[in-house]
Amino acid sequence: MLSSVIFTKGYHGIFVFSLIINGTMAVSYDIPGRSLGLISLGHAVFFGLGAYCFGILVSKGLSFFPALFLSLVLSVVGALIVTLLMAGLNHGYYSIATLGMLIIFQRLFETLESITGGSAGLYIPNSMSKLHCNLLAAFLLATTVACHALFSQSRWGIYSKETEASEEAAEAIGIPTRTVKIMCLMTAAIPACMAGMLHLARNSHVSPDSGFSLTLSITALLASRIVPVKGILGPLLGVLLITAAEEIIWTKFEGFNHAWFGLILLFAALYQGIDFKRREKISAAAEN
Amino acid sequence: MIQVLISGLFLGSVYALLAVGLSLAFGIMGVLNLAHGSLAVLAAILYKKALFLYPFSPWTFCALTTPIFLGFGFLLHLIIVAPFRNLSLSSSLVASLIASLGLALILEDLFVWWQGWEPISTHVTFTTFNVWGIKIPGLRAILLGMAALTIGLSTLFLKKTDPGRSMRALAQDKEAASLYGIDPDFTSMGALGLATILAGIAGIFYSSLYPLGPREGLDLTLKALFIVVAGGMGNLRGPAVAGLILGFIESFAAILFTYTSTDTIVYSLLVGYLVLKRSGSRQ
Repeated sequence: MLSSVIFTKGYHGIFVFSLIINGTMAVSYDIPGRSLGLISLGHAVFFGLGAYCFGILVSKGLSFFPALFLSLVLSVVGALIVTLLMAGLNHGYYSIATLGMLIIFQRLFETLESITGGSAGLYIPNSMSKLHCNLLAAFLLATTVACHALFSQSRWGIYSKETEASEEAAEAIGIPTRTVKIMCLMTAAIPACMAGMLHLARNSHVSPDSGFSLTLSITALLASRIVPVKGILGPLLGVLLITAAEEIIWTKFEGFNHAWFGLILLFAALYQGIDFKRREKISAAAEN
Repeated sequence: MIQVLISGLFLGSVYALLAVGLSLAFGIMGVLNLAHGSLAVLAAILYKKALFLYPFSPWTFCALTTPIFLGFGFLLHLIIVAPFRNLSLSSSLVASLIASLGLALILEDLFVWWQGWEPISTHVTFTTFNVWGIKIPGLRAILLGMAALTIGLSTLFLKKTDPGRSMRALAQDKEAASLYGIDPDFTSMGALGLATILAGIAGIFYSSLYPLGPREGLDLTLKALFIVVAGGMGNLRGPAVAGLILGFIESFAAILFTYTSTDTIVYSLLVGYLVLKRSGSRQ
């Protein structure tokens, strides 16, 4: 009873669902963001890939669960290709390339009108109840949180930290830095693909703008960095803050949602929400 | 075919102007300014609004707004350079990238609020020349000449004047430049001012040739960024040549494919080049 009130009834249901999806995106973003220090501006590429793979298969007549499984396989292959391309890049170049990749996918899916529905997007029939969609999304978030925790404590998590500190030094001690980056980026990409599928399953519609959305990428970036709390709590609190504030801005200041994100990004960068200065001070102190 | 080449040359010259400004900012301060294209859109909007008051030619308006854009450059310095000056190159690069992305998003919404969704077009009628049977629009020819002149003057400024030499010295070694009495803050402020002026000129020229959407700033910046990466960061000749090449590619793709396909091809080439050129680079 309580779950149906929280998860499905009108506005609350939509808000809770977007909170969970944003949470999944932020926590998955945080895996390479925190351990490799890579700032992606195109995390929504994976979200869009998942949504579109699922949507195309359903619109071709496949039933819900086989489409879900097959689209997961297809979008993971797509994500792997993107990751293989991006894994060689560092710092600013990685950020620029991920942003470029987001625009490529947006334009590509607008162009392939016969398959993707063009700029109007894809519509699929509702084949799962909203309660089940929300519960699946909650399960996905919990799994992503578990993946985050497991990854950061695993051998690969430690390798990632070493790679971030110094790639040359990491290679010198035998760490396969490229494989580490691919592992880390793929651990982040898979939950994002699944979030995209669930988004489409619940909302029945995806377009190039909503799937490969810059706003969603920035939400993930901000949520994972805005609350200076260590561990998994940081992105979870961040997503609560950003999604709640986003809702207020959407209703009170219509047409200024980009500006709102921009303002937070600006302040986050200026007031060390993105904690470069602190990390550099720590490493300088460690060197001394 | 020749018309397409000419069209590519015009478009490329505007991209070159935009990319040269971005390259200047990166070379001297290590800053990747994602709001660069938005400043070009701002210039286009200001030009459009000014045309309601008086029929300025694009070049007169460029000359008139130079001090304004120099001021914008100084202001921009306070937002995306000054707070990160003590960071390492890679950290300041990412921090400035995020701060300038924030600024670009704010500007985009403000532009839509200020002038609506309709594309900004400031086309003024001008004579068309006929050279050996090839039609060359006079306005485009003059703007091409002006773009070449602006890039040439910027190069001369950097090579032959004291402030320009100070900027180059700062780009080579910040600490050594400081020892020789160069004020890094003042000099980098001037460099960003110059880069912003170039963005402004590019925006005015672009809107005189093609309609420019109020939200196209980030698109323009991205193209300019990739031109800079392709042409080499920190120098002016490379981006200018790469800008012309992109103009040609875009013009040829536009006659063969639709608008969105053209963008997909152009961005794929640019990301592909970035991946090939910068993979494994740790700088």
